[in-house]
Amino acid sequence: MGKLALTSLAVAVLVLTGCSQKSPEVDMTKGTSDTKGATNDGMSALQKLIASLEANSKTIYFDFDKYNVRKDQQSNIDANAALFNSAEAKSFSIKVEGNCDEFGTDEYNYALGLKRAKSVKDGLVAKGMVADRITVVSYGESNPASTEHNKEAWAKNRRAEFKVLP
Amino acid sequence: MIKKFVVFLCLAMFAYAGDATVEIVKKIDVLPKIAVQDASPKNVDVSSRQSFYKLIAGDLRVSSHFNVLDEYLQSSYEGGPLENFLSDKKVDMILRFSLTHDMNAATANVKLINAKTGATTFEKVYSITDKSRNPFLAHKIVIDINDQIGAPTVKWMEQSVIFSRYTDAKKSEIVISDYTLSYTKTIVTGGLNIFPKWANTEQSAFYYTSFGGSEPTIYLYDLKDGRRRSIISSAGMLVCSDVSKDGKKLLLTMAPKDQPDIYLYETQTRKITKITDYSGIDVNGNFIDDDKRIAFVSDRLGSPDIFAQGIYDKSFEKLVYHGKNKNSISTYDNYIVYSSREADSEFGRNTFNLYLISTKTDYLRQLTATGENLYPRFAKDPDTIMFIKQFGNQSALGIIRLNANKTYQFPLKTGKLQSIDW
Repeated sequence: MGKLALTSLAVAVLVLTGCSQKSPEVDMTKGTSDTKGATNDGMSALQKLIASLEANSKTIYFDFDKYNVRKDQQSNIDANAALFNSAEAKSFSIKVEGNCDEFGTDEYNYALGLKRAKSVKDGLVAKGMVADRITVVSYGESNPASTEHNKEAWAKNRRAEFKVLP
Repeated sequence: MIKKFVVFLCLAMFAYAGDATVEIVKKIDVLPKIAVQDASPKNVDVSSRQSFYKLIAGDLRVSSHFNVLDEYLQSSYEGGPLENFLSDKKVDMILRFSLTHDMNAATANVKLINAKTGATTFEKVYSITDKSRNPFLAHKIVIDINDQIGAPTVKWMEQSVIFSRYTDAKKSEIVISDYTLSYTKTIVTGGLNIFPKWANTEQSAFYYTSFGGSEPTIYLYDLKDGRRRSIISSAGMLVCSDVSKDGKKLLLTMAPKDQPDIYLYETQTRKITKITDYSGIDVNGNFIDDDKRIAFVSDRLGSPDIFAQGIYDKSFEKLVYHGKNKNSISTYDNYIVYSSREADSEFGRNTFNLYLISTKTDYLRQLTATGENLYPRFAKDPDTIMFIKQFGNQSALGIIRLNANKTYQFPLKTGKLQSIDW
C-alpha cells in the first residue's frame, strides 16, 4: 500500500473531438435524378439523339504520361469535330472528359487528365468548333474503361471521351 | 552452373527487397519489454477483450519504443504475486487493463506495473461515450504509457485520419478513421468525392471536392453540426491542397481557364490570388517557410518535379535534384517528403518510392524500397509519415516511423484509397 502512494490515480473522460456527434452523413446524389421528357421506352427523342452522338464520337487515346494528341489520333479529332459541328449536333455543348491509367492517386494524375481533355479541346477548336461550346473536366484514374491490370487495359484508360450536353 | 548462379542471385535480390526503410538513422539500444494483461470482468465478451488487447499491443509496437510480449495474458485487476511479476516472461513492465461496457459507453481501468518490483507506477481510468470508437481509447492509453517511460511522444496516434476511397467508376466516399483503420465512419457518399483535407488542427471540419454539380466544387463540411457549405467551383479540376496553420488560407489547384495552376484562397475575405502561371501542370501546393512560400509539383522542366516560390514572388527554384518523376509532396517546416516514380514503364507495374529531404541542407533519405508508395503525409510531428500503399485494386495505409526506421501497413477492407489526410 505504501508504494501505492506513488500511484497517480486520475479519471479521464475522453472528449474525442471530431467525428460523430450527429451521424452527419451526406449523400451527394440525392435530388439529382432527371426524368423529364421521358417516353414510353424511357428515352425522349432528345435523349436518343444525344446517346447517338455520344456513341458515334471517337475516343482519343494517349501515350503513357503524355497529354499531347498523337499523330494516329488526329483523324479521330477531325471526325469528332465534323460530328459535333453537324447540323443535328450544333446546338449542343460538348464536355471532354480526360482520364488516366491507374498509376498515381494524386493531383498530378487529375491534372494530367485535364491536360489531355484540354489538348482535345484545342484540337477541336483548330478544326472549327467554337471554344465556348466545349468544357473540359478530369476524372483522373477514377473512371477506368478497363479494370484489368495489363498494358492493354492501361492503354485503354489513357483517354479522352465526350459527353453531349443539351 | 551459370544458370544456377543467376537463379540464386535473383532469389537473393527478391529476399532482400522488403519494404523496410533503407537508411538506419538511429539505433535504439534496448527497448523495455512489456506484457499486456487483460483483467476485464468475465461478462465482457471475449472478442471485445481480445480485440482491445490487439489494439493496445499493436499501438505499443507501432510506437517503436517497446519490446512487446506477443502473448494474450489474463489476470485479475488487483493481481497476485505471480501476475505482478511474470517472472517466467522476463518482462520489465506490465500494462494491465480492465475493459467494461455500459450501454453504448466503454471504460478502461489501466495500470502500469513495474515487473521487477511488482509496484503500480501509473493508474488511470479512461472512458468514451461511443464504444465503436474503442480504438481511440486504446491509442490514448498507449500515448500515456509511452509518456510514462519518457519516450518521445506518440500523440499522433489520436489524430483522426480522413480519406477518400473509390467504390466504383466515378464513385468514391469520404471516411473518417483512426490510423489503424480499426474505426471507420463514412461521412460523404454518392458520386465522386475526393481529396478531403482537414480544415483545422482540431479536426472539426474538412474540405473536399465533389463532382456532383456541373463543375467540381469544394465544400466545407462541419462535423459538429453535420452541415456543409459550398466554398468555390471551377471548371476542369479543383483540389484543396493545403490549409495554413491558422486555417485562414488555402492552397487550391484549379483550372478556371482549363489550365491547372495554384491559387491562394483567403477564407475570411474569399480573396483569390493566382500564385503560379505556367502552361503545363502546376499542382499540389504546400505552404513552407511560415506560409510565406510554397512547394509544389510542376512539369515545367519536362517531367514532374518539385519547385518552390514565394506566394507573391513569381521567381521559382527547383528543390530536388534526385530522381526525375516526383508526383506528390507533403511538407513539415523545412522537410519535404515526396513520392517518386522510379521507372517510365508503360508495360509493367511502376515502382513509386518515398523520399525525405530538407529544404535547408542536402539531406536526402529513401524511405521505401518496393511497390507503389504514394501520397505521403506528415503527422503533427515530423517523425511519422502516413502514405498510401497500392496493390492493384487494393490498398493500405502505411505508417513510417522515421527514427525507429520501421514501416507498418493497415489494409483497407473494401475499396481503393484515393487520398488521405491526418
